[in-house]
Amino acid sequence: MFGLPIETALLVFGFPLFWILYTIMFLVVTRDWARDSAADDEVP
Amino acid sequence: MSGTVISFLVLYYVVVLGIGYWAMRRGAGEDLEGYLLGGRQVGPLPTALTLQSTSMSGYMFLGAGGLGFAQGYWALWYAAGDIGGGVLNLSVIGRRMRKLSQIFGALTAIEYLEKRYPSPAIRLFAGILTVFLLGFYVLAQLIAGGKGMALVTGIPYPAALAIAVGIILIYTFMGGYLAVAYTDFFQSLIMLVGVMWIVIAAVSELGGLTAANNAIAELDPTLLSIWGKDLGFQGQWGVVAGALLIFSIGYMGWPHVVTRHMAMTKPATARRAGLWATLWNLFFVPAPYLVGIMAILILPGLDDPEMAIFEVAGKLLPAAVTGLVMAAIMAAIMSTADSLLLQTGSIASRDIYERFINPKASETQMVWVSRGLVFAIAVIGYVVALVEPPTVFGIVIFATSVLGSAFLPAYVCAVWWRKANTPGALASMIAGALVSFVWQYAGLVETTQVHPMLAGVVSSTVTMVIVSLATQKMSPVPPHILDALDASVAVGPIPGRFAEASDLSLANEAAAIEKTLDRGDRHG
Repeated sequence: MFGLPIETALLVFGFPLFWILYTIMFLVVTRDWARDSAADDEVP
Repeated sequence: MSGTVISFLVLYYVVVLGIGYWAMRRGAGEDLEGYLLGGRQVGPLPTALTLQSTSMSGYMFLGAGGLGFAQGYWALWYAAGDIGGGVLNLSVIGRRMRKLSQIFGALTAIEYLEKRYPSPAIRLFAGILTVFLLGFYVLAQLIAGGKGMALVTGIPYPAALAIAVGIILIYTFMGGYLAVAYTDFFQSLIMLVGVMWIVIAAVSELGGLTAANNAIAELDPTLLSIWGKDLGFQGQWGVVAGALLIFSIGYMGWPHVVTRHMAMTKPATARRAGLWATLWNLFFVPAPYLVGIMAILILPGLDDPEMAIFEVAGKLLPAAVTGLVMAAIMAAIMSTADSLLLQTGSIASRDIYERFINPKASETQMVWVSRGLVFAIAVIGYVVALVEPPTVFGIVIFATSVLGSAFLPAYVCAVWWRKANTPGALASMIAGALVSFVWQYAGLVETTQVHPMLAGVVSSTVTMVIVSLATQKMSPVPPHILDALDASVAVGPIPGRFAEASDLSLANEAAAIEKTLDRGDRHG
């Protein structure tokens, strides 16, 4: 791919793909964090 | 010297100073929390971009380009970890640290450590180590700024250095954290546009990425491998792991970066900030390394690899675009330098001066002590950068390896491990800093083929676990800290009882919290 050896192509494109998936997973599993939003208002 | 290049730089400086002035008018410098944490009102996009532009320093335009030029695609190991550094940092400690720092009433990343691991020794050691290492890191930014500006504009190095230092000082003094956060926001956009422009120009010049890679393969096929020029790093997984770790998990140990968590508007800001950080990194992070690799073909006779990006910009781009790229490079340097100076000044004033020298210091005194120290550090940095400048890559790898090794377990365990106690944290910081430092200066990288960052992090983590477990009976984590830790882990509002706890034990911090809460009520 793009004239690169396979392992180099994996390094160049594989890691970004991993981080994209990580970010999506992070957003999915933390949907309930919105409940923290009221925190500032509830402390007297 | 091109008039167009200078016009762009002047325009850039005017905008940056304008943002600093706006932050000052907004009242960011009125009290200590406003000055140091922007009143904890920084939203997701500015949080992500200040996090990233602070992390991505002049190293990206000098060190990264130079590494790509010297080692080819092996350099991308650093980028592979770096792309996820922002989201990893925000997802692992962002939300919990935001909540815990508010419960503790901590205003600096070092003060936060003392509140979590209660002992003056923690604050003294962490404060002095951080001021020392961030001072080095500032030095790298000053050298990068002076070298770059001198080359592109033709201004003599001492004058170019003085201009960069002067601008950074002015707007750091003007608005504190808020000025830094919002100028970082603007600068990160300039950095992205500038670096994308130059990478597109470089690849186009060579007829596309495939053609460029084929040409590199004809020159030296090992430059396309994942093991570096002449396969110099073949099988050295310890070095590869360190390259991956230093800019991924390493950020979680950098006090000037984790402060960004404490300034977020609310804990959930970490979610969207994580998304923005990844998006920005995907485009920005690999680009300087790629330009360095392309420079192998564009500038075959280049003497100083660290100047690869500047030279490519000067050779391929028209003057107007070179001005924009130069502004981007200065943005990368200055957005890191201002944060470093602010953090160094605030840690030295609050964590050392107020804590150990003058406990009754007023907020105005503190702000002025911080500004005085910022000025002193900038002057010392200027003199060193002028007299005997070391390489930017060398300083950055040294400072970031020691910082990450010393503080990573302390910050991560602070919110994730209930048994992490004061002796464990102190021993971990000392072990991480020492091992990482000795590893670099005793030449152990060559003999062991292990990166100093990897050696340092493993040492500090193992030390944290062993010492914490061994001293649980002698030095248990106090109940009020465990209570605060539980509240930071739980999803939901911070229980009201913590405001009273702060009032009892944290007199001046409680006042700062109260101001924030009043502001929150007005906005809410």
